[in-house]
Amino acid sequence: LKESFGTKGRFVFDLRRLLLTEELFPPAGGAFLEVERSYGRIQVSLSLVLLQLDPFLNELTSMFEKSKEKGSVWVTLKRSSLKSKVQKRKLSSVGESIEYRCLIRATDGKKTVSTSVGAKDHQRFQASYATILKAHMTALKKRERKDRKKSTEAEKKEGSSTTKSKKL
Amino acid sequence: MVYIASWDEFVDRSVQLFRADPESTRYVMKYRHCDGKLVLKVTDNKECLKFKTDQAQEAKKMEKLNNIFFTLMARGPDVDLSEVTGKEQMETQPVKKGRGRKQ
Repeated sequence: LKESFGTKGRFVFDLRRLLLTEELFPPAGGAFLEVERSYGRIQVSLSLVLLQLDPFLNELTSMFEKSKEKGSVWVTLKRSSLKSKVQKRKLSSVGESIEYRCLIRATDGKKTVSTSVGAKDHQRFQASYATILKAHMTALKKRERKDRKKSTEAEKKEGSSTTKSKKL
Repeated sequence: MVYIASWDEFVDRSVQLFRADPESTRYVMKYRHCDGKLVLKVTDNKECLKFKTDQAQEAKKMEKLNNIFFTLMARGPDVDLSEVTGKEQMETQPVKKGRGRKQ
């Protein structure tokens, strides 16, 4: 870091390349690098908030609630070991296996939160995650048989039963 | 864009894509409540598969796909997926009933 200090532009670019390799998602996902220079100190902060499982789930819930009138919620799943190339090389040279986790990101376009889930906790997480999705994805259409699309009012009044057909 | 019409085809190709390149394949879900639309995307940055729906029924199917991806990503691409359903059975097995002699 100290060496690159002099060259402002290059520093940002190199560090960005280093951090935005396979480990993290592309910038569109919401992670970006902020480099501030003030009075000879470089402050680097990565806008990627890595949370524990439960706070993450709470944030995800609030994102869904906030986006009811307008907006989208994006959730991205990716496998990652959260280690840099250098660390990976070291681990494999020592003969240790690299532990992989599932990286989960959620964003509402403005804020991004993330969490990482390992083999041990992924089942508990997927249950809670499924519950949140089910509770909030209520705007989707339920399946109804519209065989008689051009039905008149009279037919409807006869009490046409709408049976939900499940495709298996 | 590359929207796939059949759910099963989407699932099969997505899993295939992931197994071929687990390092760079990601699974993205976008939900818009105001439009009532759900879009799924799986890409390895070379190929892109997408699925779009507005049906609640497909959201249920997506849950299964979520489970599949969680398992693949957390445990590894070589995981046998029959475990995803078989796992639930395995979990119930260890619950051994105590011997009937309760005194």
